[in-house]
Amino acid sequence: MIENEMTFLQGDVVEEEVQLTIVELCQACNAEIDHVMIWVVEGILAPQGETPRDWLFSGDSLRRARLAQRLSRDLEINPPGVALALDLLDEIATLRAQLQCAGISEVRVEASKIQ
Amino acid sequence: MKFKDYYEILGVPRTATQDDVKQAYRKLARKFHPDVSKAPDAEERFKELGEAYAVLKDSEKRAAYDQMGSEWKTGQDFQPPPDWGAGFEFNGSDTGMGSGSDHSDFFEALFGRQARGRQQPHMQGQDHHAKMMIDLADAYRGAKRSISLRMPAYDAQGHVTTQERKLDVSIPKGIRAGQHLRLSGQGGPGFGAGPAGDLFLEIAFNPDLQFRADGRDVYMDLPLAPWEAALGASITTPTPEGPVQLTIPPGSIAGRKLRLKGRGIPGSPPGDLYVVMTIALPPANSDQTREAYQAMAKAFDFNPRELQKG
Repeated sequence: MIENEMTFLQGDVVEEEVQLTIVELCQACNAEIDHVMIWVVEGILAPQGETPRDWLFSGDSLRRARLAQRLSRDLEINPPGVALALDLLDEIATLRAQLQCAGISEVRVEASKIQ
Repeated sequence: MKFKDYYEILGVPRTATQDDVKQAYRKLARKFHPDVSKAPDAEERFKELGEAYAVLKDSEKRAAYDQMGSEWKTGQDFQPPPDWGAGFEFNGSDTGMGSGSDHSDFFEALFGRQARGRQQPHMQGQDHHAKMMIDLADAYRGAKRSISLRMPAYDAQGHVTTQERKLDVSIPKGIRAGQHLRLSGQGGPGFGAGPAGDLFLEIAFNPDLQFRADGRDVYMDLPLAPWEAALGASITTPTPEGPVQLTIPPGSIAGRKLRLKGRGIPGSPPGDLYVVMTIALPPANSDQTREAYQAMAKAFDFNPRELQKG
């Protein structure tokens, strides 16, 4: 009987229920500890706690750290450049969301036709 | 297997210097990086670029690649020559951009034989990431879904193969697009006695014609007849949680939003549902309807272009 019963995996919603140590964050986004420390200095990530050993990163940090990792690895951008790119990407995402809420998602299609 | 012309992909001549290669890669990578570009083929293009760069930036790999000669063209059927790789020593330190698991067959055949890095004993397995598409309704109610994931795995020779894996996952009520679900121990297997890594599922919503989510808030359009907007009305409208009765205030105009507090994605606090009003014009396609429009024209002293100059 029990074999037939499907077990569904229960996950944690990272953004709401999870705080990550620097080691866990590095493991989760496959980044080096040194890089994460530089990203904190650059303001890309803002952990709670005084020293790296005590740092706790909010769940939102996972997305930012993965993005920072991909941008610095794939585009060979230095940390201040990554910080700038992340800020600009956030701004674009906000603007896109505003367009979408106003029901103007077609703007992108039209703009690309013009090019 | 098809030949890939890495020089053509980067748009540089075979005589390009290492600096030229780097410059060309960076320029194209910025253009096609999937995090930056919205081009539909960005991911594919970027993968190709990374692979081309991984070969051409590395003097050993580039020399080996060059030895095959310049007669090959992209898309030609290709088998590595029997003496391939002889006399070259790849240090195996860098299989290039990306996770190293998403290279083409062509790349794998030529450069995939290298050691995949030394494995430390008793190391935790890698954390894996995948994207999971769900319906907005799943976020409202929670859901149980079976998904199949393709995971790269290395065979005994160090080649990459793809393994299909099925997972049954509970989607918690209230999850939003862009959030991650962490499934402990469902990532890569550990080495030695090390524990397995975790699996992170990034949530995204399937496109929905009716509802648009922005964080925990949800937006929908509500078309109104001109008289409903002008005179006010009581109408029934669908919401993600089922139909509700809405009172449209008289004098409503297109673009105005009605907020239904707490009817967005559930949570503490829950999001709101915004109903964006639009005005739909009934067609004048019969004598009766044309007369109605003519009567309107007579009844109103209305110039919609009042504010336009010139």
